[in-house]
Amino acid sequence: MTSTMRRTAFRMAAALLALFIFLFDTLSPLEGAVAVLYVLVVLLAAGTGRRIDIIVAATASLVLTIVAYMGTHSLHAGAPILRALVSVAATAIATALALKNQAATATLAAQARLLNLSHDMIFVRDPLGRITFWNRAAEDIYGWSSAEVMGRVADALLETRYPIRRDAIDGILQDTGRWDGTLEHRTKAGNWITVESRWALQRDGHGEVVGVFETNTDVTERKAAHTALVRSERRYRHMFNASRVGVVQEDWTATRAEIAALGIQGGAAMSAYLAGHPEFVARLRRLTRIVDVNPAFLAMMGAETRADFHRSVDNVLVEADPTFGPALAAFARGDGFHEGETEIVTVDGRRVPVIFTITFPTAADGDGNVLVFVVDVTDRRRAQDALLQAQAELAHAARVATLGELTASIAHEVNQPLMAVVTSGEAALRWLRRPEPDLTEVDSALGRVVSEGRRASEIVKRIRAFLTKTPAPPTPLDVATLIEEAAQLVQRELVRAQVEFHVEIPPGLPPVIGDRVQLQQVVVNLMVNAGQAMAEHDGRRLLTIAAEHRPEAGIEIALSDTGPGISAANLERLFDPFFTTKPDGMGMGLAICRTTAQAHGGTLTVESVPGGGATFRLTLPVLQHGESA
Amino acid sequence: MQHRLTVAIVDDDDGVRASLSSLIRSLGYEARSYGSAPAFLADVERGDPDCMIADIQMPEMTGDELQAALLSAGRRFPMIFMTAFPTAPVRERVMAAGACAFLDKPAEPDTIAHHLASALGHGRA
Repeated sequence: MTSTMRRTAFRMAAALLALFIFLFDTLSPLEGAVAVLYVLVVLLAAGTGRRIDIIVAATASLVLTIVAYMGTHSLHAGAPILRALVSVAATAIATALALKNQAATATLAAQARLLNLSHDMIFVRDPLGRITFWNRAAEDIYGWSSAEVMGRVADALLETRYPIRRDAIDGILQDTGRWDGTLEHRTKAGNWITVESRWALQRDGHGEVVGVFETNTDVTERKAAHTALVRSERRYRHMFNASRVGVVQEDWTATRAEIAALGIQGGAAMSAYLAGHPEFVARLRRLTRIVDVNPAFLAMMGAETRADFHRSVDNVLVEADPTFGPALAAFARGDGFHEGETEIVTVDGRRVPVIFTITFPTAADGDGNVLVFVVDVTDRRRAQDALLQAQAELAHAARVATLGELTASIAHEVNQPLMAVVTSGEAALRWLRRPEPDLTEVDSALGRVVSEGRRASEIVKRIRAFLTKTPAPPTPLDVATLIEEAAQLVQRELVRAQVEFHVEIPPGLPPVIGDRVQLQQVVVNLMVNAGQAMAEHDGRRLLTIAAEHRPEAGIEIALSDTGPGISAANLERLFDPFFTTKPDGMGMGLAICRTTAQAHGGTLTVESVPGGGATFRLTLPVLQHGESA
Repeated sequence: MQHRLTVAIVDDDDGVRASLSSLIRSLGYEARSYGSAPAFLADVERGDPDCMIADIQMPEMTGDELQAALLSAGRRFPMIFMTAFPTAPVRERVMAAGACAFLDKPAEPDTIAHHLASALGHGRA
């Protein structure tokens, strides 16, 4: 039944009752205070809960009382008028009470509406625990309607699980009037939900407990999210602690401040600045703090506990580490991660080759949690070295085998005519030295000497032609790529010799013309020489490779080292074949380098101040030189 | 002068063969030249030489194969071998089978003369 229908029913009932009382009052011979019954009309009308209905009913009752009195009695004093006045007074009092009650009910209804607006489940329990109020949110979330739960014991209905003993809660409630905590409730659908519950004791005017007001907030999802977070944190910790990959947590906050203070815009400019200012990179190495390391990294470093551990990146990286500058550049650019290969120094001074990945957190996470994942590649490097060694030996063996075959072939081809020449010459001498020289034999023997000598020289020509096979057709080569590829081949050797490596190649150089492999071998040879020259050298070990375009000479590639330099006497003979200053050197490297440069139509020169390093200059033409390549 | 000592030359190189033949004749021996091992084996009419100088590296049949063939046929006479590309295994095999000498090409004519003299002297004794 809707509220409108209910209201209409109350109004009809009130009207019918009023009519009935009026008829009885007018027509009945009874001389009683029938009009007092109008009180019922007002109370019925109050059932609608509307103020106007009460007023209408009261007014109608008063009018009908007076009309009935006027119709049956004359206007003189006596018992009838007294009865009428009593009826009017009764009606008025009932009206006043009904109106007051209506106002109180309206306030309560408004309050109930407010409680129904709440997203929290709110219910009220009487002192026996029976539910006396149940709001809309409770209906929605627990699943029972208000009508279903009225009078039922809340704990039985919801199968409440308490975090502490129930009587302890009651004790707190009695002492303080309040309690809050986390409970678990079961819904009508059978699901358990976690609620944050706040209880307040309700007392009447005399201080007697009339019930408990309970407000519950559903925190099931929040709790699940928190649990997931805790699990994730635990997983992360587990990974951190149990991983065989070394993990270093670093704080780059100060690092960022220093980089920002430079005020350099653009990644290329920053890279150039970092490459040109090793002292700045060195300072940032000391400023980049190590916050935490995992056990795998401790083991890698040979450290017992975290307490043994040094606290900045500077203490971990080898002196000549070439990777920190590029890592700073990546950080400044805002890259998410950066990878590289370097060596770290253990607490007892060993050098360990590693590959690493740095993950830079997003700006929102701050720079205090930069994670570096480090893998010890000693074993892999050893295997790789063994492989390279094997390859080198194989290549050598192949070369030797080829040389061996060649030697056999040359020996056979050349020794046959030589044998004929020598034997014929000797025979001629013997024919000549006879008591009677046999000039016919001498003539034919010397004829063979000449023809066999010619044959030998033909064979030599043929072998030379075979050895100087048609060269590979010259192709245009990018200088930066050429140097980069060569640098990759010797990178490890340079790191091992603790040589810093710096390349200055301007963009947009025209390509050089030549054989990629041969030119790469020249650059590799010069780089390895520079590394070896500096290996025993105290002080800074820096190899700089610069390239520039000189319109008159082509591309000039300059390799400068900071080694001990070359004495004037050695400088003159440096490019002579078989000249070497190395105990196990062949003395062919630089001679072949110069020959290769010249074969490409270029030059290879050297300048050096003893004690001030050496600079090799390789020039290569940028235009095709026909046969010269 | 009675029967002149005969030296057979087996070498596929024309120049070497002709010059050796001239040298051997200048030393007073008779020379027979063959361009290959099968050619020598095929020449049965003239009988065994008093000595043989053979190259090792020859097409068709090598010098050491020729030695093995002669020995297995019961033909025994002093043998001198020469090669432009000496290897230890061949040297050992040939010497173990009873060769008088194993010479590297180019060989000194005096050395050849010396070995011929000792081989033929030995053969006569």
